[in-house]
Amino acid sequence: MIASLENVSKVFTNPRTGKGLVALNDVSMDVGEGDFLCLIGPSGCGKSTTLNLLAGFELPTSGRVMFKGKEIAGPSPERGVVFQEFSLYPWMTVMQNVAFSVSKGRTKEEREALAMKQLELVGLSDFAHARPNELSGGMKQRVAIARALAMDADLLLMDEPFGSLDEQTRRKMDNEVLRLWEGQGKTVVFVTHSIEEALMLGTRILLMSASPGRIDREWKVDTPWPRDPTSPGMVALKKEISRGLQVCSCASGEPKAAFVEVQGADDRPEMEV
Amino acid sequence: MWKADRVDDKGKMDKKEAAEKALREGRSHFEFRPETRRFLLANAVNIAIGIALVIIAWWVVAEAMIAVRGAFFPTPPETFSALWEALGGAKINGATIYFHTRSSLVRWGLGYALALVIGTIAGMAFGTMGRAYDIGMVPVYIVQMIPGMAWVPIAMLIFGLGESATVFIILMTALPPIVINTAGGIRQAPPIYSRVALMSGKDHFSLFAKVLIPAAALPIIDGMRIGLANGWRVLIAAEMVLGTMVGLGATIEDSRYSLDFVSAFVCIIVICLIGLTIEKLLFSGLEGVVRNRLGLEEEG
Ligand SMILES: Nc1ncnc2c1ncn2[C@@H]1O[C@H](COP(=O)(O)OP(=O)(O)O)[C@@H](O)[C@H]1O
Ligand SMILES: [Mg+2]
Repeated sequence: MIASLENVSKVFTNPRTGKGLVALNDVSMDVGEGDFLCLIGPSGCGKSTTLNLLAGFELPTSGRVMFKGKEIAGPSPERGVVFQEFSLYPWMTVMQNVAFSVSKGRTKEEREALAMKQLELVGLSDFAHARPNELSGGMKQRVAIARALAMDADLLLMDEPFGSLDEQTRRKMDNEVLRLWEGQGKTVVFVTHSIEEALMLGTRILLMSASPGRIDREWKVDTPWPRDPTSPGMVALKKEISRGLQVCSCASGEPKAAFVEVQGADDRPEMEV
Repeated sequence: MWKADRVDDKGKMDKKEAAEKALREGRSHFEFRPETRRFLLANAVNIAIGIALVIIAWWVVAEAMIAVRGAFFPTPPETFSALWEALGGAKINGATIYFHTRSSLVRWGLGYALALVIGTIAGMAFGTMGRAYDIGMVPVYIVQMIPGMAWVPIAMLIFGLGESATVFIILMTALPPIVINTAGGIRQAPPIYSRVALMSGKDHFSLFAKVLIPAAALPIIDGMRIGLANGWRVLIAAEMVLGTMVGLGATIEDSRYSLDFVSAFVCIIVICLIGLTIEKLLFSGLEGVVRNRLGLEEEG
């Protein structure tokens, strides 16, 4: 087990009204070494919040978020994130963007050599000196992946990384992520709202639901890659997951959220939700 | 597998290839295309028409004032011939136009340099610390509300008559936009930029120098530009509290007593020309360079 959430609740408190929004309610999950874990669920159910907790960008309101046996206190290069939105610095070249994230304590040349290696891995070495605005959306996300790899993180956190790409490009990117994951023995937590994407990638699929955010069900997928989405087993699993998604309270219409009163607008109020 | 994807980026590649071809053939790929040249020409004509309109309006008002009030009012021909003589070295208000201009520029440069240093440091501090922003911006907005002329008595009470008072007035009018834009620019940097730096294990200094400052560069330049214009525009007010009557603003102020209005108009024209030159050449150029460095321009 490389990371875990132990009875984690996350409440976002609005400083003006004092109202709290329960984004996660008593969520527990384990991420095993080498897992390709897909988090799936309707928008607003707390997928990004879960990922941000694992990354260390957010701290839990109650419960513990653990990484390699230690409680997570903040972001760390041990956990690389590929963000949903484009996250490259437009004022740096592709190479500089990747080299920026290489852990410190090495010379500039070494950092750039390492960055170059990662760019080769994602097929973008020809674009090392281009600016991000010269790249297509798919290429930008590939650079973001190269950057996460360059960090040499053991855990890759990917938040709907290909959500804004067209279907065809997304499939291609999915395959590449799979190739990198198989080749490098990383652990991946991959957020998506697409059942197909989860089915094509994951060794485990976790279904989340909202109001308040929690984990509903889990499926283990042993089918080897490349997976055939039209095989009977896959079709059946897809049906089952779709049904699970529909049962969830906010799958249709606007996402609803649970509100609570928070006593004493403390940073980390002790509370039962 | 990755290669196929590049077809999508054909448009971008063509541009790059064109640039490379131009380099191989030994010409600059920044060379003006015919459309660009036509655009620049049309632009120049428009600017010329705009300037002509101002001069015509001035002339009409001048002749009307002379006819209606029977008073003296410098006309464009009178003013431009006086400007020509002044540029030739004729003294106005006891000194050459070059001396007046240099005195004004030195004062203003000093006040503005102080505003830059104080404003950028304060802006960066406010931009990164929430509480400091909430408290610190209150005085900044108050200072911003005080009109340039209103600083005259305040400056006189603090510094008496002289250079320090002048520099102080320029400082106080140039400062607020610099602080506001620097702090605002840093606060408005997308949070994801900070997250990337933090997950990469960067310390706060790198986060600041390599991420927040570049991310806020355009608003910061804008603040500097507004501050510069503010300081320049308050020149007359600032030079009113000067003991010695040198400087462009001082000469304009002096025309109230000497009735040498032609000289005042000459100084107004010089002030406009210098302001426009700095604004259009220096700052537009600087902004272009920074936009390019920031990767905001299509031409890479
Ligand atoms: N920083 C925040 N402040 C306040 N509310 C937030 C914040 N981040 C997320 N939320 C809320 O928490 C809920 C879950 O959000 P999120 O984790 O982004 O969902 P998902 O990624 O599954 O779409 C949503 O209702 C969202 O509005
Ligand atoms: Mg999300």
